[in-house]
Amino acid sequence: MAQENTPLSPVTSKPQKSCPLAKFPNEVRDAHARFLAAADVDALDIVVLAIVRDHQPAQARAATPEALPDSSRLIGDLGFDSLALAEIVFFIEDLYGVSISNQELLNITTVGELRGFVRSKVSAVRLSQKSPAN
Amino acid sequence: MSRSALITGIGFITSIGNDAATVSASLRAGRHGMAVHPLCDNPDVAIKVAAPVREFFVDSPSWRDWTWPERYELPRETLRSLAPHGVYAFCAFEQALADAGLTKSDLGDGATGLFCASAGSPFMLHHHLAQAHFSQFERGNPMGVVSSIAGTLNFNLAAHYGITGAVTGFVSACASSSHALGYALDEIRLGRQDRMIVVGAEELNADTLLPFAPMRALSVNPDPATASRPFDSARDGFVGTGGAVVLIIEEASLARRRGASAYAELVGWGQASDGHSVATSHPEGAGLRKAMKRALRDAVATPAQIDYVNAHATSTPIGDRAEAHALRAVFTDAGAHPVVSGTKGLTGHGLSMAGAMEAGFCALALREGWIPGNPHLVHPDCACGGLNLPRETLSVAPSLILNNSSGFGGSNVCHVLRKV
Repeated sequence: MAQENTPLSPVTSKPQKSCPLAKFPNEVRDAHARFLAAADVDALDIVVLAIVRDHQPAQARAATPEALPDSSRLIGDLGFDSLALAEIVFFIEDLYGVSISNQELLNITTVGELRGFVRSKVSAVRLSQKSPAN
Repeated sequence: MSRSALITGIGFITSIGNDAATVSASLRAGRHGMAVHPLCDNPDVAIKVAAPVREFFVDSPSWRDWTWPERYELPRETLRSLAPHGVYAFCAFEQALADAGLTKSDLGDGATGLFCASAGSPFMLHHHLAQAHFSQFERGNPMGVVSSIAGTLNFNLAAHYGITGAVTGFVSACASSSHALGYALDEIRLGRQDRMIVVGAEELNADTLLPFAPMRALSVNPDPATASRPFDSARDGFVGTGGAVVLIIEEASLARRRGASAYAELVGWGQASDGHSVATSHPEGAGLRKAMKRALRDAVATPAQIDYVNAHATSTPIGDRAEAHALRAVFTDAGAHPVVSGTKGLTGHGLSMAGAMEAGFCALALREGWIPGNPHLVHPDCACGGLNLPRETLSVAPSLILNNSSGFGGSNVCHVLRKV
């Protein structure tokens, strides 16, 4: 049994963050590093699709093709509910230090729209911040 | 009443074992689950001993860091809204279902209900609030509420298992899961439900346990072998534990028709409140005495027919003394001398989980034919005069058992279980 206990921060302080991609496959973490180093948007796609996969309910994941088509609807085709979509958005916000508004979130219904949105949003701020994941 | 209830399935995730066979072996051998287990890394905190659950890692506020035994398939969509004690509860639930010969598909016809008990997760709530305050409540875990508030067990388990009968939670501190079990029996007796699943669970971390330290309710004894010693004159407080216990009770004729094997019959229950103090027991155990009598009356049993009492006995100076007075009033004064033991001496105190856990122990004792002892008892408190408190486990098959629980505000709940 693991005995590591981290001390709790006071309620008003910033919560501790671990690397959000720590449990993801190496190729995903490599792609994340590639994007941060060289603005490789194909690498960014790999990360975004892996995040979508990771948040998918197990049963729906088993029934979804390995390569997610751009036309797949997140709610409807891929088994997401609105809370899981919020989880994805917060995950991406934390990973890339961006802020995604509720209105922007409402405009994203498919995998393709999510990929395109993250490309434009993240690329715009990439150079102005350091990776919280490295 | 014509409808009676059998316990047909049990799941255990406890400090003394993560399945019925291990729990039974621990109880019979007098093997405790305590360890030197500091809950925060501040060496000035006086509480050194706790009774941790083995095989799990749930000490992080992020479910992505958690691990549990591989034999349980816990899907992401369920995991994301659980508290640490919800992971215990899920695993105990899976065990209980398999033990009862049931599957998830048996639970969705409206005849099965779910009553749960936990304190919620102060740990998850703490982290959720820290994150929410930091982001001016713009951002945070969308599952922060349902994973942390009291009720998190029933929200999650009802959704995961598709339970469409009566679903709710019970909050009476250390009597919570005893209330859940008592009211579950009523649901079956009243014909509202045919099957009830009762869940008690708690987590063991600084946020859940250490707030009991300023109340002076926790043992500061650094020795795991003696920190929890119910009824002993040297006891100095309780030792905390976490885990989950799930009990499946079914209307007897339906259980028999489907060929279920029963541990025991749940034959009655009673409750009464002290109406005395917000946090300490009535000095004479007035409410507990009344609750025991009500449970006996409900079960149509006399004190002399009770072979064993699983006492609430948390190892606190005030609580154990009050319970000893109540036991003497109900049993000794009536010329009855059932075996009395406090199994929290081995498990530690599981708070909301305690009543369901100990009902599970009573069911094991009835099915297997033994009575747990008080292995840490050396010098019984003088209030225990006349009580039958053996040290060793007895190889005696009990027929009728009384299970006591008491919670804050003086809530007292007792169950009577009978051999089948």
